[in-house]
Amino acid sequence: MKKLIQPFATIKRQTFMLLVAGQVLTTLVVWHGLSAGLIPGPAKVAAAFFQLLGSRLLLDNILVSLLLTLKAMLFSILITLGFTYLSVLPFFKSVALFIVKCRYLTLTGLIFIFTLLTRDGSELKLSLLVFGIVPFFVTSFLSVIVQIDPQEYDLCKTLGYNNWQTLYEVIIVGKADQVFEILRQNFAISWLMITMVEGLSMSEGGIGTLLIKYNKYNDLTNVLALQLVIFLIGLCFDYLLGTIRHWLFPYSKLKTVKAT
Amino acid sequence: MTAHTKAEIILEVKDVQLTYERPVLRDINFCIRNIVRPGFSQGQVVTLIGRSGIGKTQLFRIMSGLQTPTAGQVLIHGNQPVKAGDMGVIFQNYYLFEWRTVYQSLLLAAKKNKHLFGVEKQTIEQYAEQFQLSGHLHLYPQQLSGGQRQRVSIMQQLLKGSNFILLDEPFSGLDVCMLDKAVELILQVSLSDELKTLIIVSHDIETSVAISDTVFILGTEPGKAGATIKKEIDLIERDLAWQKGIKQEKRFLETIEEIKGCL
Repeated sequence: MKKLIQPFATIKRQTFMLLVAGQVLTTLVVWHGLSAGLIPGPAKVAAAFFQLLGSRLLLDNILVSLLLTLKAMLFSILITLGFTYLSVLPFFKSVALFIVKCRYLTLTGLIFIFTLLTRDGSELKLSLLVFGIVPFFVTSFLSVIVQIDPQEYDLCKTLGYNNWQTLYEVIIVGKADQVFEILRQNFAISWLMITMVEGLSMSEGGIGTLLIKYNKYNDLTNVLALQLVIFLIGLCFDYLLGTIRHWLFPYSKLKTVKAT
Repeated sequence: MTAHTKAEIILEVKDVQLTYERPVLRDINFCIRNIVRPGFSQGQVVTLIGRSGIGKTQLFRIMSGLQTPTAGQVLIHGNQPVKAGDMGVIFQNYYLFEWRTVYQSLLLAAKKNKHLFGVEKQTIEQYAEQFQLSGHLHLYPQQLSGGQRQRVSIMQQLLKGSNFILLDEPFSGLDVCMLDKAVELILQVSLSDELKTLIIVSHDIETSVAISDTVFILGTEPGKAGATIKKEIDLIERDLAWQKGIKQEKRFLETIEEIKGCL
């Protein structure tokens, strides 16, 4: 028991699972105790959650949102890779650094410009998502490049590689697994933004549209149930991207294990 | 003294200086000659010895072409200034690309060697057998022990085909068994080709001197900033080179004391 509050103490997996279960249970009890009036209790939210899961409405809207997110992620990663790979060329470094600073821009003031530049609601949502995601992707990937061990470059030089071959070996091939890690880490941002951009063009539906509708009528039970769905989908993607990374790049899961 | 002759200069360090905010290296001058030993394909094993922090690593990087000196140059292949890629370099922690299997890493090096064109795979297999790594070719570096990584690093640089191999602190952090194996490996490589030249940068005096033919001592001189080559010791002349079990001999221990006195 003492270990649980000791810095850097390691505990058994079983103990950790029990601890998590206890904490979840405590949260539910506290939630149940606090729920009254407009705030729905956990049992009510759970019932709404299962009802939502069985409905066609949720499935259709999830598919719309997922498709849009995946499209945005694909475009974002392509743009990110382009700019970060090119950032090792002095000419493009300033552009990449500018993109990093674009994290501080808010989309709200730019929506009208994007509306003028795009043809329809679908394009508007996609471009806004990409615009919102890319600075975070570029920031993460640039930090990977900055933290590259200088010995990786030295080894390339000693093998007689020129600068382009070094770029290919160390950054493109060597950091390919990190691209998946960045996707995994930043999926949360795109998933967070989807609910916002879907509110801008509601005709195509989507999980964000559904959430806004429930919110409009103060249907807190369904809002919380939908939040739970969004949370679980996020966790699934987190796990999925991690698994794909380990499958495609087996070395990414290796620790220093001595060969027998 | 073992029969030998010293032939042409194969590497020359000329007036090398390195200055950052203060001089680190100054007036570094030495050369390595091809040692011809009847009946052997005897390569050269040269050790650069110096205290920690004296500038050994900087000299190592300059010699490997990874760093440009403030002044002076390192000449190889008949007065050609050295450039990165000319020398095989084995870093202190035997760095390897973590995303490449042993085989892939070796293939990258073999493909840089024009003499191996078309026979890269067979050569890698031969080397792997010789270095007892046949069963490890498809493992990643993270799955190898320190000794195995060292062997892969050496194989990689040998496959690249450079006659010069620079080793940065090759004995650092090795246990007694591994140390013997590393020594054996270096001697094996030194006997693989007449022109093969191993340059060891180390502060492990006993081990490096025991396998070398020449020792250069890097140190500082009173009143002068920056390290320079204080002394060159020809171990062949002293009959200390190429001798097994030399570490127990009195004259070896005297030489070690002499070196320590110079540091």
